Amino acid sequence: MLDEDKKIICFVNGSLRGKRASSLEFLNDVELRLLDTEYNKTFLTVKAKLKKSYPENMLKSIACADAIVFVFPLHNYGLPGALMRLLEDYYQYIEAGNKYNKDAKVYMVVNCGFPRPETNEEAIRVMKNFSRRLSLNWRFAICIGTGPVVVMTKKVPFFDLKLKRAYAEMVSDIKSDSREKRDNYLIKPLIPAPILIMIKNYYERKGQMIQRNHKPQQTKE
Amino acid sequence: MNTLLVLDKDSKTKLSEDLKAKVVRTLEEKGHCVEVVELGKNDVSPCLGCLLCLTKHPGECVTKDIVNEIRKNVKKYSATFYLTPLLFGHFSSTIANVIAKGTGSHNWQVMIGFGEDINDEEKSTFIDLTAKHRGKADIIHPGLNSQVDVFVSRSIEDNTIICETLKTHAG
Repeated sequence: MLDEDKKIICFVNGSLRGKRASSLEFLNDVELRLLDTEYNKTFLTVKAKLKKSYPENMLKSIACADAIVFVFPLHNYGLPGALMRLLEDYYQYIEAGNKYNKDAKVYMVVNCGFPRPETNEEAIRVMKNFSRRLSLNWRFAICIGTGPVVVMTKKVPFFDLKLKRAYAEMVSDIKSDSREKRDNYLIKPLIPAPILIMIKNYYERKGQMIQRNHKPQQTKE
Repeated sequence: MNTLLVLDKDSKTKLSEDLKAKVVRTLEEKGHCVEVVELGKNDVSPCLGCLLCLTKHPGECVTKDIVNEIRKNVKKYSATFYLTPLLFGHFSSTIANVIAKGTGSHNWQVMIGFGEDINDEEKSTFIDLTAKHRGKADIIHPGLNSQVDVFVSRSIEDNTIICETLKTHAG
């Protein structure tokens, strides 16, 4: 039963990796900061197989939310196919005349396999376009470079303070009625990019990764 | 010259059918042998993000579907064309799944997004999403390529202009 006085927060996990997903870690980090006594929380996870489209109850959960938090990994510099399918189905559901909360705030936490969090830029633009199409209240994104590395190091005391600040800002923004424009948070991994690139090169030499067919790109950090 | 043309069959419109016909005709006039593959939402399973296609068995996906069959013969194509509806400046989920599984020929890729109500920001998002990172990534995913041409069509006239440009590339 939903308590009607409480704000409804809908968390959308865009990863199909189950419990191993870095996205799930980030989603839990945000969720734990929002008290059950203050919010009604709904959790959706994208699906690999669907009979026809996403079930109506899932689409309804998004439609009635006061805040939607999308958490997903970057796939080919864009959204994972399964999450894109959910957005397509949701858009069709709304286009069919179903009611939705036009004031809903939209947030996203995106993590990529590259050290530079800026690599997530186009995924943010897609989510902004989604919000604009439906006149939703786009707020901001937390962009994480090398998600699995950030997951490994986030429990180290006194480190990753920027990530914790970003979570706190997201929670405070969900609580507030502000419509003021916000900047995105860019979270770099604690391990420097050259070391991460060395690890990648090691695997490339072992022949376990697809070899790049051009000169190495200098990482701008 | 063999060319693979992949398109999303769930989003057929007058615009997309005109685009498909014009692209096929243009390529055939230039001597390409075009194989058209029409795929729907339930034909291609999404990428699970397991990364086994990058580590254990490069280029091969663990989930078996029609894309795996295409992938087996990918070397016979000298070019791959994707025709995708654009929503929010992103390719459709079907085409996203196809790209993630690495159907791209490693010679020449062409992405053509279509839709009558695409706004300028969505058009620009799609172009950046598709072309900006090609060849600059730390790891080249089997679905990506350093050489890609991107076009966006919002009208029948755009289709004609795109095909005129393709004539100079496809020779």
